[in-house]
Amino acid sequence: MSPIISATGVGKTFRQLKRQSGFGGALKSLFSRDYTDIRAVDGISFAINAGEAVGYLGPNGAGKSTMIKMMTGILTPSAGTLSVLGREPHAHRMTNAAEIGVVFGQRSQLWWDLPVRDSFDLNRHIYDIPPARFADNLRYLTAMLDMASYLDRPVRQLSLGQRMRAEIAMALLHDPKILFLDEPTIGLDVVAKDAVRKFLAEINRERGTTIILTTHDLVDIEEICPRLIMVDDGKLLFDGELNRLRASLGSRRRLTLEFATDPGPIALTTATLTADEGAAKHFVLDDETVSLLDVLGELGRGHGLKDVKLEEPDIEEVIRTFYLNKPNLASAP
Amino acid sequence: MKLSAYPAFTATAFTSRLAYRNQVWSGMFGELVATFAFIAVWTAAFVGRGTVDGVTLPDMVTYVIIAGPLLNWNTTRYIREVGDAIRTGDVTTFLLKPLHYPALLFFNQLGNNAFEQLSITLPVAVIVALAVGLLPPASVAHGLLFLAYWVVSWSMMFLIATLTAMLAFWLLTAFALDWFLRGIMAVASGAVVPLWFMPAPLAAILGYLPFAWVSYYPSAVYLGKLDLPAASLHLAIGCIWLATLVGILTWLWSRMRHRLIVQGG
Repeated sequence: MSPIISATGVGKTFRQLKRQSGFGGALKSLFSRDYTDIRAVDGISFAINAGEAVGYLGPNGAGKSTMIKMMTGILTPSAGTLSVLGREPHAHRMTNAAEIGVVFGQRSQLWWDLPVRDSFDLNRHIYDIPPARFADNLRYLTAMLDMASYLDRPVRQLSLGQRMRAEIAMALLHDPKILFLDEPTIGLDVVAKDAVRKFLAEINRERGTTIILTTHDLVDIEEICPRLIMVDDGKLLFDGELNRLRASLGSRRRLTLEFATDPGPIALTTATLTADEGAAKHFVLDDETVSLLDVLGELGRGHGLKDVKLEEPDIEEVIRTFYLNKPNLASAP
Repeated sequence: MKLSAYPAFTATAFTSRLAYRNQVWSGMFGELVATFAFIAVWTAAFVGRGTVDGVTLPDMVTYVIIAGPLLNWNTTRYIREVGDAIRTGDVTTFLLKPLHYPALLFFNQLGNNAFEQLSITLPVAVIVALAVGLLPPASVAHGLLFLAYWVVSWSMMFLIATLTAMLAFWLLTAFALDWFLRGIMAVASGAVVPLWFMPAPLAAILGYLPFAWVSYYPSAVYLGKLDLPAASLHLAIGCIWLATLVGILTWLWSRMRHRLIVQGG
């Protein structure tokens, strides 16, 4: 199966005018203009197959939105080749636009003064959706996203969570093959986030819609996207399954031993000491196979052990470890 | 997107405006006050004189009613909205859809102005006409030509306003652009003072600029100040202006889109 999206050495360089400070600088810039080249995206390659759900992750300014804009055809790559559904997206903006859906967490596509239903109906015209299909999709999306109560309310009266659900529904009415989401859960409360995540996972599973999602919230990735692409400074750092990332980092479990009184230095063969607070000692387990019983067996009795805590590493921790170690990992992903 | 789908935007813009009904009352009040004020000014100017340069007071009152509320298209909101969308990069949300942005604007603004014309300016024109009297068109032919001029007037204003709003992309301020345009329109469209009362050299220049087709020519044709051949000729010149502005708009938009998709917002 050929990939639905393929990027080969894609780069995007922006020319930014160097502004000089002060009045003199402003005068000077009237006559000579200096530009700095900013590489927002730098030699990125990946291939995404139909039906995948991919999380595109990176810190602020890593080039995530730039990449999304290139894939949706509203930004031209300055290097490499990019193909979406077999086309160069920027050269075929209209055809491309008809087959994709896009949701920007920070930009609304709904009509502010109109009932949600009217915005949806406008999309029926824009995408030329056959009436029966439109009705089916509207019914499905309304039920799935629990929108029946506010379908006839003007957008300006909706809560952010309701609005975001409407935005997502609007992007799906024309059965796009690919759904791009740029930070879809930004600013939502826990319940709304959960509803959005469950729905996206469902639409990916049931309808086979390919999902590309950028986010800062790692739980989004964990619940929706089995595959993760990580970028920083415009460069690709990691492309693969979240589990693989976890495994490749050792995803070491953390062990905390609390004693009634400071037992003095404690050395274990199965775990490495990371912090010693006297009565509380923090370790990481060296190996996946080490069990708590092994550790306690080695420790033996008589230290006045009060409490034991064993923690699985959460995704935030995995990512943090990854970014801290990135120079070593970037070369051998 | 099929061309037949664009009128949906006209309907959407029209119904959007229904959400702000109080704007209708404040808009009507403002237009009424302005129109009566202009009529008072001209009445004072005509005191003791039957005609000035071949123009009578009833001529002027009719001119004020037509050039004033009727052909004084409100574009303030439009320029700010489009200018801001362009300046902030929100315009990209439209690029994400399979549609032509300037065409969308055209049908959208058609809905907006249709709403204003039906709910504000036409009622005001009728009220003032009933209160102070309105002359009929100079002839049936002039009346029919006036209807064609009406369409030209709206289209011209749409193009001028859209071009002005697009300058926001390079100048980064829609607010100042709106003031700039309103200043130009007040003089050059003939909405306040008809071109026939202006100094000849100024009138000659303004008579060839597209602004004059917004208020001056339609009103002058209604009153029969242009004979039928001259009125038809100027209608043709107006259409040439429309085509020219469409060309400029298309060129500007493609340059802007190119810069948007190369430079990014």
